[in-house]
Amino acid sequence: MTELLKIENLNKSFGALEVLKGIDLTVEKGETVVILGSSGSGKSTLLRCVNFMEIPTSGRIAIAGKPVGTERSRASGRIQVDYRESELIGIRATVGMVFQHFNLFPHMTAFGNVMEGPRTVLKLPRGECEARAETYLSKVGLADKMHSYPAHLSGGQQQRVAIARALAMEPQLMLFDEATSALDPELVGEVLQTIRSLADEGMTMLIVTHELGFAYSVASKVLFLSDGVILEQGAPDDVLVRPKQQRTRDFLRGHATYKLPDLAIT
Amino acid sequence: MEHIWDFESVFTNWRLLLIGLGNTVLLAVVCLGIGLFLGLFIGAARYSKNRLLNVPASVFVEVFRNTPALVQIMWFFFAFPIISPFRIDSFTAATLGLSLNTAAFCSEIYRAGIQSIHRGQWEAAKALGMRYGEQMRRVILPQAMRRMIPAFMNRAIELTKMTSLASVIAFGELVHQAKTISTIEFNPIETYTVVGLIFFIMIWPIAIAVRGLERRLSRHE
Repeated sequence: MTELLKIENLNKSFGALEVLKGIDLTVEKGETVVILGSSGSGKSTLLRCVNFMEIPTSGRIAIAGKPVGTERSRASGRIQVDYRESELIGIRATVGMVFQHFNLFPHMTAFGNVMEGPRTVLKLPRGECEARAETYLSKVGLADKMHSYPAHLSGGQQQRVAIARALAMEPQLMLFDEATSALDPELVGEVLQTIRSLADEGMTMLIVTHELGFAYSVASKVLFLSDGVILEQGAPDDVLVRPKQQRTRDFLRGHATYKLPDLAIT
Repeated sequence: MEHIWDFESVFTNWRLLLIGLGNTVLLAVVCLGIGLFLGLFIGAARYSKNRLLNVPASVFVEVFRNTPALVQIMWFFFAFPIISPFRIDSFTAATLGLSLNTAAFCSEIYRAGIQSIHRGQWEAAKALGMRYGEQMRRVILPQAMRRMIPAFMNRAIELTKMTSLASVIAFGELVHQAKTISTIEFNPIETYTVVGLIFFIMIWPIAIAVRGLERRLSRHE
């Protein structure tokens, strides 16, 4: 197995507010890592630091064995790094991100949305961009909606277009930031299935979600984040079934207050 | 006292009116073009983080938005030639005044339009790996432009009416031509009635189109 992402002593503050306090994380190629935690625990910020939508206050991030930025100093454990915007732009092009609110471009069709990255960023020839758009829209099951505008698609369909848009860049890593939190409950399943099929194909993914059942069944590793530190991490069975920390247990209990008997869904 | 209406004397001077109409349209179109173009850069400069850009741009916008267009035109015609090496005719002075005035207002329309686009659009474009200019050109402006169109059309209406101010520096647009006709024919009532109607016929359809557009845009969002 090769190391695709290595995060070392990552800190992020917004003004006086310390959101991430020393995160260390290694993700192997092909792994699906699910990040759990209550709101305000720093899950989204952690995800957004990986593709430098947020610039870390300190700490080192290496992608595919290549550290990003130039290290300036390493004083008392704090790693200060200088970044060049042009390098970060290159990183973002190789890391796909899917947002809670889809953020599709409303003035483009599904096809146009998926073509946009390859066309504008990768500057591929038109024919190849079209081929990619077709491939990835078919992959998320929307071959018949290619020419629809986002406004005419359901939330689940919009999110699948957003996934196709990220995949069309053929990224080495995918980030999902609460991709199903804004969806009506009956549309959550189709999006989760799409993400699951990516996991099965060996896509490396970091997923922030509140869907614990999904986390349990697709994750190769689960992290529990609390107050900006990783409180617990390990295989789904260790973190979700036999958690060691009281905070993790409280969190899981909060998510499973009411349950249907299994018979109801069969 | 009974006034005997004499429109005949206006229409015998149709050539003068036609020239005036041509000049009015020319001035309006040129100033709108320059205003739209300059406004984009002034708007961008005003909201740039660089103080060398944003301070002068803000001063420009505030000066032109808070002084009368008539004063601006007269200043460019009477004062500007004294402090500059150029000779300035009435068309140039009117163009300078009105296009800079329009640029100041347009820069604010651009700003409001761009700020109305949701943050998520910037984020999605950035996450794909787009540079700032690409985000703007491919994602933000195409959406913002649609929302700006009604405001720009209103600007065009205001500008068309403001061209009449150029009559004070003897630029041969509609109102100046009307002044000439009414002096020759002693028929100010009829001449200005006709000129008013010409403006109305030119501008009213645009105003109706703006209202239609605004209704259509609000339906889509």
